[in-house]
Amino acid sequence: MCSTCVDRIFTSGPTSCPVPHCGKTLRKKGFHKAFFGDLKVEREVDIRKRVGEVFNRRQDEFETLLDWNNYLEEVESLVFDLVEGTQKEKAEAEQKLRAYRTMNLRDIEENRKAGLEEADQERRREDEEKEAAKRRRLETLREEQEAKLDVEKSRRDVLERMANTDEDPNIISQQAQKVILKKSSARRKMADTATESNGSARDPNLTIRGLKKKIAPVLEKPYDPFGGIDLAPSRYALQDHYDNEWLAGAKNDARHMAGGYSLKEYYARTMFEAFSGLGVFIEEEVVNRGPPVTSPAVATAAAAEASGGRIKLGHKMELDDVF
Amino acid sequence: MTPQGTISEDERYRTSTQYRLWSFTRPSIHSLRTTTNQLAAENVREAVRRARETRAVASADVSEADTENSRPASAAPEGPPDVEVDCLTVEEELKLVMFYCRQTIQLGDHLKLPTEVKATAIQYMKRFYITNSLMTYDPASILKTALFFATKTENHYFRLTKFAEAIGKTKPEDVLASEFLLTQGLRFTFDVRHPFRALEGAVMEMQGMANNTIPVHSTFEGRKPTSMARRVKEAHGKAREYLKTSALLTDVYFHYTPSQIMTASLFIADEELINWYMATKLQEGSEVHGKVVKAVSDCASMLQAIPPTAEPSAAERKDIAALGKKLKKCRNPEKIDLVGLQRAKREGELAADDKIIKKRKLEREKSTKEGEDLFGPGIKKD
Repeated sequence: MCSTCVDRIFTSGPTSCPVPHCGKTLRKKGFHKAFFGDLKVEREVDIRKRVGEVFNRRQDEFETLLDWNNYLEEVESLVFDLVEGTQKEKAEAEQKLRAYRTMNLRDIEENRKAGLEEADQERRREDEEKEAAKRRRLETLREEQEAKLDVEKSRRDVLERMANTDEDPNIISQQAQKVILKKSSARRKMADTATESNGSARDPNLTIRGLKKKIAPVLEKPYDPFGGIDLAPSRYALQDHYDNEWLAGAKNDARHMAGGYSLKEYYARTMFEAFSGLGVFIEEEVVNRGPPVTSPAVATAAAAEASGGRIKLGHKMELDDVF
Repeated sequence: MTPQGTISEDERYRTSTQYRLWSFTRPSIHSLRTTTNQLAAENVREAVRRARETRAVASADVSEADTENSRPASAAPEGPPDVEVDCLTVEEELKLVMFYCRQTIQLGDHLKLPTEVKATAIQYMKRFYITNSLMTYDPASILKTALFFATKTENHYFRLTKFAEAIGKTKPEDVLASEFLLTQGLRFTFDVRHPFRALEGAVMEMQGMANNTIPVHSTFEGRKPTSMARRVKEAHGKAREYLKTSALLTDVYFHYTPSQIMTASLFIADEELINWYMATKLQEGSEVHGKVVKAVSDCASMLQAIPPTAEPSAAERKDIAALGKKLKKCRNPEKIDLVGLQRAKREGELAADDKIIKKRKLEREKSTKEGEDLFGPGIKKD
């Protein structure tokens, strides 16, 4: 309906709907300009607004995340019924909405207030932040100005002193430099303390309600690539040094050692290999292996595969003939 | 099992592919080789039969076209068609594999490759021919590929073209033809654990014990072998010889761990010394000690079956020559030309690609042609 028609029909107070057989009583207050080009979207937004005002529970009211999600889903299906449902579904949903409103009037009101308060607080906090940023900017500007003036002033002093006394100009300028440095460092220190005090002194009004308690971070242990496995040898003790005529050259040769090669690596490896598997008895251990795990099946596959074509094996293994 | 949080040297060895995939008991390896041999023999007979059939068809065609020339065409090089192919047995195959392992060592010596490279190449050969038969794939070409692979795994860079050149009468394609075949035969595991470095470790420690730089428990101090330092040195040299030859030519890598092989080689070199050494390491009289001693002596007797200095006798050589001839006769005719097969495969893939590219090009040309038409493509009449 165009705004002129609305004006024409409803200026004189509530009237029944101009659509034939509708019979609803409408007021001018209920009309508003469409924001979206698509009226369907506009209608859905209106409905959402209306439902959202009633179903305005918050996540922290629920004990578990699942409950909260279930609630959201329920609300969403209600909205869907209102938007897309048939006449009957719409009526049912409408009924449900009304029933919920009357039942939970107090909760809804509370939540509405809380929401308003929160939005208010948020706005205030933002204002505060903006204000602080502005203050800081001015502060730094002022400090810079001061520092510049200071430098200027001491330079003038130096010139004056040089002109009026007969001291060594070099010494004078050095002293002046020192003075400038001292001053600027003192200023920096002062600024630091100022910001510190600024940061620690929080306005109690600004703290956000409902934040989760912070847990102090646990000190991280140094990374262990072996995940805590002890690789200490059990059959030998690694020495720092072994006699080996083969290695005598390498020990004293800069070309070997310059690259960061460590003989200990070699010692550790040789000693490890000398004893790795000494107590592994293949004749006993391999017998107990199940046939599908070990080679026989594969072996036959490889042999059969030589005949050409492709063969499917029992345990889902497929081999292509190479040629 | 091991206590929580610690992982012993043995456990770490159990994570290796050599333990997980390439360790067998004697019966299991034998049965594997038997199945491989039987399957390969069947395939060879099949393939030969197929080849004869196609030849028969071809000769029939020729006789129809030209009756005079039919005789030379039907004279097949493989003898009369009814004779069954005489295939190699498992034992014969093993002998030949051993021969080709020796060849690998010689070729490695010729190319001046380090011991580990030769050793790895031989293990590749041995592993490959557990699940593949000599009758299917020619050992002479697999050997080159294995050696080339070994230079890569053992970090001894050898440029392919130079490698092929150094071998002589070999092209790079020959080396690469069986590349994937071998990789698959190795079940994509390239790591071979050798006992060479282990020997250095044990010798270093024994040397330290001899020089009193490494403390020995007091109960063993008194029983220390006499003039230990000298004996350790001698044992070292002898053991190394065994590891360089006997260990590679026998099946010890499949049945024992590198540590046990190393101990066995020292055991052969100086029994008293190594018994004392084992006693210092493992509790004497304990179960583990007994088992280790048994495994080591078993391994030692296996090693001694082929002493390092032993060259094949004249009779053996004759035997091998005969087997080589026999092998030539029972080769799978479909798998002889690996290079050709490889090329055919690659060209097959390329040809397929070419076809697609050609088709696309044609389509593109057509569409541009139509687009250039002033009034667009013509309306087709049904």
